[in-house]
Amino acid sequence: MIRLENVTKVYPTSTRPALDDVSVEVERGEFVFLIGPSGSGKSTLLRLLLREDVPNEGNVWVANWNVGRLASRRVPRLRQRMGVVFQDFRLLPNKTVAENVAFALEVIGKPRHTIRTVVPEVLDLVNLAGKADRMPSELSGGEAQRVAIARAFVNRPLVLLADEPTGNLDPETSTGIMTLLERINRTGTTVVMATHDRQIVDSMRRRVVELSSGKLARDDSRGVYGTGR
Amino acid sequence: MLFVWREAFAGLRRNLTMSIAMVITTAISLGLLGAGLLAVRTIDRTEELYYSLIAVQVALDEPTSAGDPDCSGPVCTGLRDELEANPLVAGVEYESRDAAFERFQRIYAGQSILQLVRPQSLPATLRVTMADPLRGTEIVQQFTGRPGVRNVVDQRSTVQDLFSFLGSVRNATFGLAIVQALAALLLISNTIQLSAFTRRTEVGIMRLVGATRWYTQVPFLIEAVVTGLVGAVLATGGLVLGKLFFLDRLLSGRLLANTIPPVGMSDVLLYVGPVLVIVGAVIATLTGYVTLRLYVRT
Ligand SMILES: Nc1ncnc2c1ncn2[C@@H]1O[C@H](COP(=O)(O)OP(=O)(O)O)[C@@H](O)[C@H]1O
Ligand SMILES: [Mg+2]
Repeated sequence: MIRLENVTKVYPTSTRPALDDVSVEVERGEFVFLIGPSGSGKSTLLRLLLREDVPNEGNVWVANWNVGRLASRRVPRLRQRMGVVFQDFRLLPNKTVAENVAFALEVIGKPRHTIRTVVPEVLDLVNLAGKADRMPSELSGGEAQRVAIARAFVNRPLVLLADEPTGNLDPETSTGIMTLLERINRTGTTVVMATHDRQIVDSMRRRVVELSSGKLARDDSRGVYGTGR
Repeated sequence: MLFVWREAFAGLRRNLTMSIAMVITTAISLGLLGAGLLAVRTIDRTEELYYSLIAVQVALDEPTSAGDPDCSGPVCTGLRDELEANPLVAGVEYESRDAAFERFQRIYAGQSILQLVRPQSLPATLRVTMADPLRGTEIVQQFTGRPGVRNVVDQRSTVQDLFSFLGSVRNATFGLAIVQALAALLLISNTIQLSAFTRRTEVGIMRLVGATRWYTQVPFLIEAVVTGLVGAVLATGGLVLGKLFFLDRLLSGRLLANTIPPVGMSDVLLYVGPVLVIVGAVIATLTGYVTLRLYVRT
């Protein structure tokens, strides 16, 4: 589903590569933690998968797309098959919960009757059916993140990318988010989650890919966060 | 499709002050353009009207005017025959002193100037219609100072002043229209940039969930086009009001009645209105497109 082949990314403004010769492969339906301290290159890797940026060297594959070489007019198609959530939720403050989710379908031109049925379904999945008409400012952090996940998942993506989705949440709320991501993973969606939350990684016992200063440091199929930290 | 319209109107509402400024400036520039077009149209009509009417007037001197009311004497017939033989001339009509006075009475019926004029103060004339109205000066040169002739007047040269006045009105209007159009253009461009800036989060999220560039940019284009169209409609409305409450009064007033033909409502609604709508839409679309291309990277 995802394959990085000797990927190197150097930002023009820095001399040290953000990703340094990284090769890694993720099968369809896997759940992968991408760990490493701040600045180790986790977000950069996710950005390359989303084609928010292109690698300097190597190839990035998602499904059958050679993402780094994709013509820019084909990028929307790629992104329509991927979902993404961030630490800061990125909801539109002037739209309701339901509208925020519907937005993701509207902008890719889904017909209205589809949107009308699919949005309540996915809000139900994230346990927010009762808050469809709330504004984001009326939500707790955990609820806001569940809306963001609903938006990322509503179009049934092949891959769900999560960049520190629990970074702003307390441990208890984080557990709820993890349960949700697991549920989504069980529908067959490949999940890649960047985090440096030791507790979450240790409790889930999933595959762990560790980056250290842009280099691939470890790849354990049922890993823990690491020793000595 | 519905979505992009909703976004466009949300954008217009969000920057309401800018939107209003943009619409007003557009309306003013289109209104001036429309006024210019009406002026051109009126000038054409006026010219047509006048060239069919104007003639070279050969006024006869006092002895001939008084002594030969039928134009049967040798001086008058000599002049008439010579004029009729001239290839530049289409036709010659004799108007006696009495006939001139009658016409004068008709034109100025009820006005005080009538009291001042006696038949004796009007000359008999030979009204010469030109085959080519532009060459009246040649007749003037040929017949000025001839025996029996008091003076020769090419009416066209009198009318010329009116035309050059109308022409400068037209030029001034077009000039202002261009300056205003430039202001409207900059304002539209600026508003789109502002609108794109205020909506950058939204557009960022749109791009992230896989919206095409078309989807993210069309709302901005619609904003611009709606501005152009609303501006054009307002401008046309303004011209209708201007016609009803200013032009109609001006052109039917004593000074200009029968001098300049009135501007018809159909000129405003069927000719200028559609032109303004098209010009407004095209200019707004182009401005929007260029702005998005040059300044908005999404
Ligand atoms: N847009 C950018 N421009 C320049 N350098 C960047 C940019 N984004 C990230 N970096 C640098 O690349 C490295 C990796 O960053 P990042 O991928 O954000 O790491 P992480 O998500 O693991 O904290 C860091 O050294 C960071 O400073
Ligand atoms: Mg990061």
